[in-house]
Amino acid sequence: MRKIASLCAVLMLLSAFAYAQTRTLTGQVRDSKGSPVPFANVTIKGTNSGVSSDANGNFRIDIRDGQSLVVSSVGFAEQEFKVGTSSTLNITLQSQGNLQEVVVTSLGLKRTRNQVPFAAQQLAGDDVNRSRNANFVQNLSGKVAGLDIKQNNSLGGSTNVILRGTKSITGDNQALFVVDGVPYNNSNTNTLDQRTARGGYDYGNAAADINPDDIASVTVLKGAAASALYGSQGANGVILITTKKGGKGLGITVNSSISVGKIDKSTFTKYQKQYGAGYGAFYEDSTGYFLFRDIDGDGREDLVAPMLEDASYGGKFDPNLMVYQWDAFDPASPNFGKARPWVGAAHDPTEFFETPISSNQSIYIDGGSDRGAFKMGYTRSDDKGYMPNSKITKNLVNLGGSYNITSRLTAAGVINFSNIEGKGRYGTGYDGGGARNLMTNFKQWWETNVDIKEQKDAYFRNHKNITWNWKDPDNLVPNFWDNPYWTRYENFSNDERNRYFGNVSLNYKVTDWLNLLGRASLDHYDEIQEERIAVGSVATSEYERFNRSFSEANYYFLASLDKDLSTDINFKALLGFNLRRDRTQSIRAETNGGLIVPKVYSLSNSVNTPNAPIEFDGTREVQGSFAGATFTWREMVTLDATIRRDKSSTLPEDNNVYYYPSVSAGFVFSKLMPLAEWLTYGKLRANYAEVGNDAPIYSVNDVYIAVPPFGAEAQTSVTAAKNNPDLVPERTRSYEAGVEIALFKNRAGFDVTAYTAKSIDQIMPVIVSTATGYNSKFLNAGTMENKGVEVSVFGTPVQSRDFSWTINVNFARNRNKVVKLFEGADNLVLADFQGGVSLNATIGQPYGEIRGSDYVYFNDNKSPANRVVGANGRYLVSSNANIVIGNANPDWTGGISNTLKYKNFSFSFLIDTRQGGELFSLDQFYGQGTGLYPETVLLNDLGNPSRDPVASGGGIILPGVKEDGSPNDIRRANSEGTLGYRQPTAGFVYDASYIKLREAAINYAFPKSFVDRLKYFKGIDIALSGRNLWIIDKDLPYADPEESMSAGNLQGYQVGAYPTARMLTLNLKLRF
Amino acid sequence: MRNLLYVVAVTVALLTSCTKDISDLNIDPKNPSTAPSYSFFTNAQRSLSNTLASSNVNLNIFRLITQHWQETQYPEESQYDIGTREINDNFWNALFRDVLRDLREAKALTPVDVVNPDGSANSGHQQNNLAMIEILEIYTWYYLVTTYGNIPYSEALNIDDPFPKYDDAKTIYDDLLARLDVAIGQLNPAEPGLGEADLIYGGNVDQWKKFANSLKLKMGITIADVDDAKARETIESAVAGGVFTSNEDNALLKYLGAPPNTNPIWVDLVQSGRDDFVAASTLVNELLDLKDPRIDNFFTEDQAGRGSPTTSYSGADPGVQSAYIQYSHVHPNITAPDFPHVLMDYSEVEFYLAEAAQRGYDVGGSASEHYANGVTASILYWGGTPAEAATYLAQPGVAYSPATFKQQIGIQQWIAFYNRGVDAWISWRRLDSPQLQPAHDALSDIPKRFPYPVNEQNVNTTHYQEAAEQIGGDVVETKLWWDIF
Repeated sequence: MRKIASLCAVLMLLSAFAYAQTRTLTGQVRDSKGSPVPFANVTIKGTNSGVSSDANGNFRIDIRDGQSLVVSSVGFAEQEFKVGTSSTLNITLQSQGNLQEVVVTSLGLKRTRNQVPFAAQQLAGDDVNRSRNANFVQNLSGKVAGLDIKQNNSLGGSTNVILRGTKSITGDNQALFVVDGVPYNNSNTNTLDQRTARGGYDYGNAAADINPDDIASVTVLKGAAASALYGSQGANGVILITTKKGGKGLGITVNSSISVGKIDKSTFTKYQKQYGAGYGAFYEDSTGYFLFRDIDGDGREDLVAPMLEDASYGGKFDPNLMVYQWDAFDPASPNFGKARPWVGAAHDPTEFFETPISSNQSIYIDGGSDRGAFKMGYTRSDDKGYMPNSKITKNLVNLGGSYNITSRLTAAGVINFSNIEGKGRYGTGYDGGGARNLMTNFKQWWETNVDIKEQKDAYFRNHKNITWNWKDPDNLVPNFWDNPYWTRYENFSNDERNRYFGNVSLNYKVTDWLNLLGRASLDHYDEIQEERIAVGSVATSEYERFNRSFSEANYYFLASLDKDLSTDINFKALLGFNLRRDRTQSIRAETNGGLIVPKVYSLSNSVNTPNAPIEFDGTREVQGSFAGATFTWREMVTLDATIRRDKSSTLPEDNNVYYYPSVSAGFVFSKLMPLAEWLTYGKLRANYAEVGNDAPIYSVNDVYIAVPPFGAEAQTSVTAAKNNPDLVPERTRSYEAGVEIALFKNRAGFDVTAYTAKSIDQIMPVIVSTATGYNSKFLNAGTMENKGVEVSVFGTPVQSRDFSWTINVNFARNRNKVVKLFEGADNLVLADFQGGVSLNATIGQPYGEIRGSDYVYFNDNKSPANRVVGANGRYLVSSNANIVIGNANPDWTGGISNTLKYKNFSFSFLIDTRQGGELFSLDQFYGQGTGLYPETVLLNDLGNPSRDPVASGGGIILPGVKEDGSPNDIRRANSEGTLGYRQPTAGFVYDASYIKLREAAINYAFPKSFVDRLKYFKGIDIALSGRNLWIIDKDLPYADPEESMSAGNLQGYQVGAYPTARMLTLNLKLRF
Repeated sequence: MRNLLYVVAVTVALLTSCTKDISDLNIDPKNPSTAPSYSFFTNAQRSLSNTLASSNVNLNIFRLITQHWQETQYPEESQYDIGTREINDNFWNALFRDVLRDLREAKALTPVDVVNPDGSANSGHQQNNLAMIEILEIYTWYYLVTTYGNIPYSEALNIDDPFPKYDDAKTIYDDLLARLDVAIGQLNPAEPGLGEADLIYGGNVDQWKKFANSLKLKMGITIADVDDAKARETIESAVAGGVFTSNEDNALLKYLGAPPNTNPIWVDLVQSGRDDFVAASTLVNELLDLKDPRIDNFFTEDQAGRGSPTTSYSGADPGVQSAYIQYSHVHPNITAPDFPHVLMDYSEVEFYLAEAAQRGYDVGGSASEHYANGVTASILYWGGTPAEAATYLAQPGVAYSPATFKQQIGIQQWIAFYNRGVDAWISWRRLDSPQLQPAHDALSDIPKRFPYPVNEQNVNTTHYQEAAEQIGGDVVETKLWWDIF
């Protein structure tokens, strides 16, 4: 550390003395074919001073001796040129995609683009940071062809990151994150209940700990060939992050941003305003819509709202009707003991949402000399969500340095520390009594007469659970729901994760063609999640804590060889060894039967003795060795082969070693056509790769489960999942072919990749007949196939001195098919959800079939007109709840980003789309049944309010036919459930497509003249950006189709969906 | 080149130095790979009782089907919506996976750990334990086979055969009866049994013998309509072997006051804080008509001014949405955390004997005596007095009449099976009494069986389709082989 500090001091001194004579330099910028490059940016390195070349590529600039020029232009790689003593300099820029462009590949190795025979898409740090987001992963959406990012709207929620489709039927399909060559754990600790929408919090996934300000570039290695060297972990593709490194000289960057947001109302409930609380007319007064009690003690019965209900199929609003409501029974309320007019609420739950505010402050310092370099960064972000009492705070520290001990030996190290604290994360799923997901309350079960602002006042008057949902005037306890503010302020969660991620390495350059690298890395974190239910809630009071620690150590030894065997042939070779050991330990404990003393959240405050905590302790060790060889002929033809051997502890001893190869070829055919002016670059590439994979921890040996004892009597049980000592490794085999073309000096171009991947012998818990006494057995059973095409197109339609416009288009289409399951079974239920729908893998079908109940169709003719209605006027429901009603797979995904630059302004926007695929909405299934939405109060065919009694001309005729096939003419009551959950689930499956204006940003770089006047500054940039600004098109009503429960394989189901927040960010970036 | 060789040497050295045995990491340090046999039995017994006692709408809706209770705002299950919550899957899974599988494990481990202190086999003790486990297993199979019809049996409970075939229900039933005889023969009161691990009888071998014979009686009467000879033989031998003779013999699982070992009804009705169930008008009206003394132990009174002008007992109509506050509720005794679940009782034994006597089987005593004993035992169990029972029995609508024995025993059995929905359902299907009407807005006729689990349709498809065809269609209206009227 001391060495780096002194180095730093020396550097500062050097820069202070580097003052010399200014002189004028002229020159011309040309491309590799000798043509002038107009309007190239020519700047002096390390400063903000610069000029543009003219239409003929000529420029003139004032410089000092010893300075360097940095020259860039659209379609060309940025390049640096030393200025000698001459007063003219002719500059030749290499087209992007030529030799100079370097692609970071597996294990952090760098290759020229010509030598990369597989699909790799690279993004600059600024591309992922343009619109600020505490979780940078979400900023990748729409920017990489074939990278399917699904985010949810809960604060700090998890992000689903899938490359080239779902490969594993029951296993992990998330792409691997690698930071500077080292795997970065991206676990998701969400419980099974959370993932199957039965409640719980989404604690996000751990890749969100990566500091966005520390990212220099992101490379996405999509296929297995690219990632074979990462072993099994890389089977789902790799997102390779290269962090910033110290450059020469000293740089300080300060970045400060503040964001505010507002919910997108198209993603939240719209409430009908005509009818209030109740399930129907079966209560106490003569109309049946109200309770009938003597509240004021005058001996006469008064109308009381049926507060116990959580639906709005009650009495019609009528300002002349005086009705006692929930607040009449709150002694602290100004309405205590008062009846009030029966009208709709002035403030509906839309006003529950607060303004989300986040702030992000970072400082980043780097510096270096010939002997070494360092960087340090600190980022603090505070995210306050739109749900009351929610906040996530991050403190991220990055420190790294390298030192050239000798000219051949370099020592480097990096350590990152992150601290993430969350409070009041959003409840998810459908968690029953006293639910902590208030969206199930607001979107499914609500009384439209309840004013949310009054609920807020009621809670804050005395911090008691003054709910709108009293059981009865004589029994003032909450029935189904707590006061929503009580839920947020009393029944909240908190969590914290402290993480250390770092590595040390020694690099020895034996000769100019042989390099040895040894690296040890550690990714370790400890986390705690605490959940509570306060005394006085609907649900039994509770305190639950979950402690988990994870560490992954990786030891690499890598010998790499890079030698020109002749002037034409370059040979690269790689020999390496990797030992990976990860360990997860966790303990989950909760109180039993409630809390004794209110507001004390400790296990010892349990009414009954707590049951034994659930513990887990699992270690995996994988010993891998690998080798690779690459021959390149004249920078034109590249042949590449790798082989890896893994030995994994999770497999049975006799079958724990597996080998897997890859072979690739690349051909830069544009080299054969030097005279074709229009063709700047052209490459064909093809590869075949296998990746092996081991089993989940503890799937080999059987154990028993200890059940809490019955009094003093021990209880044990056989596990529901049968393990298997005969497992063998699973494999993914993939083929990929692609073409890269750049045209007209890089003004336009495209990259097309086609691939097919088949994952065979998948180790999975095969669902068996439960008559076996088990749910499942671990077997090598499944085969899944993914085929697809990825296309990226770029172009610069306009390019002039002051103005340029560039477009990037990404498109990906993946076709997924379940090829094989265990013999005898043609379907595997991945999850059952509330409402009677399930998500399935079915042979011959894309993964993610949604099944449930369907309508009964006349003569089996499945058109909406043929839906059969029973004698009671309701749709008949298929007796079988196992009918295919949708599929969660999208047809294609894509993004279009545009950047327009005018002088110091740049404007960019990204349109992100996902087309096809379906989802089931439990919100609509229930919410349309409880009468919250405007659709439930429509006029009927007679022009009368459909909620009027059938006898007085109300009621509805559901479109369809009667059992005899004649048109339905049964006008039935528009009662609770009729338009919702009394219909088949098939009626609530929606197209999940969307087109979104995902990002838009305006950036202004202050002009050099201005910056120069303010001493010390090298640059000042100010940017205004927005995220999730506009959902241009969607089918799903009152929700964002992208919203999901959690990351993972279980998609296509929406419950208690949180609205999307439009975020606007002001960012100030200062460079010193 | 020398450098390259050096690299290779170092790599090889690293590789070989790390080839220690890593398969030890496959041993889970937090869960046992061995456990005592009896602990599986205890768990199975509790799981079995929980499943049958439960009132969770995801698992056990037989109280609703038999119109003892009704739902309030959400009457879907009262209207026989079995599919949405996959109740058919859950009930099946609970019995196969959570009960039978653990009983099999208990059986397999008994020879290993029921041994003398010197390690030698203790065959008498082992034999008693195995017989008790077997009897509980047969009891469990009885509910599966009477709920679904044909089910996996001969190939069931064997993970090496993940998709077992279905066996004919009658064949299964005959085999169960044969197995029951063997188990009864193995019980030896001179030797010890399962001890306190047996939550029902504390390992009392004599009680198990009575329990097994009473089960045999129950199984005999179940097939009386369809196979008179087999029923007669089974019942007469059961009675000769000794069945329950008083409420003291009742098979009760006594729950504890604290979670997780409480009465499941407490969990569903009290701990949940929900008001999902009220009395069904069908049962309440019958009880009121018959001036049944059990009514005030079954239900609470409703409140004056809440739907009816006076305080009395009232129930909601089946399948009709209702307000909780307006009707009688489940009695708080029943929702107490430690309220025991009845797996079998003396009252039902007497009703079976009454019917057997009426059918002319040699069971000792007359039909009317046994009938009166059954009614009296139930009233006493529910806190009534002998005098109340006598008064009750003296009423014209209650007094035994041979001509209408099915109807009469059916009604009394239905009342006495209060809180035992699955048994009330079997009794109603067999005796077709009382005459229940389908619920309002019902999705089907009143179920005569449960459909096969969706999971079976998905994974055990071929065998499922065979079975569905053999029983005459996988629908709730299909009557099972013993239910011919």
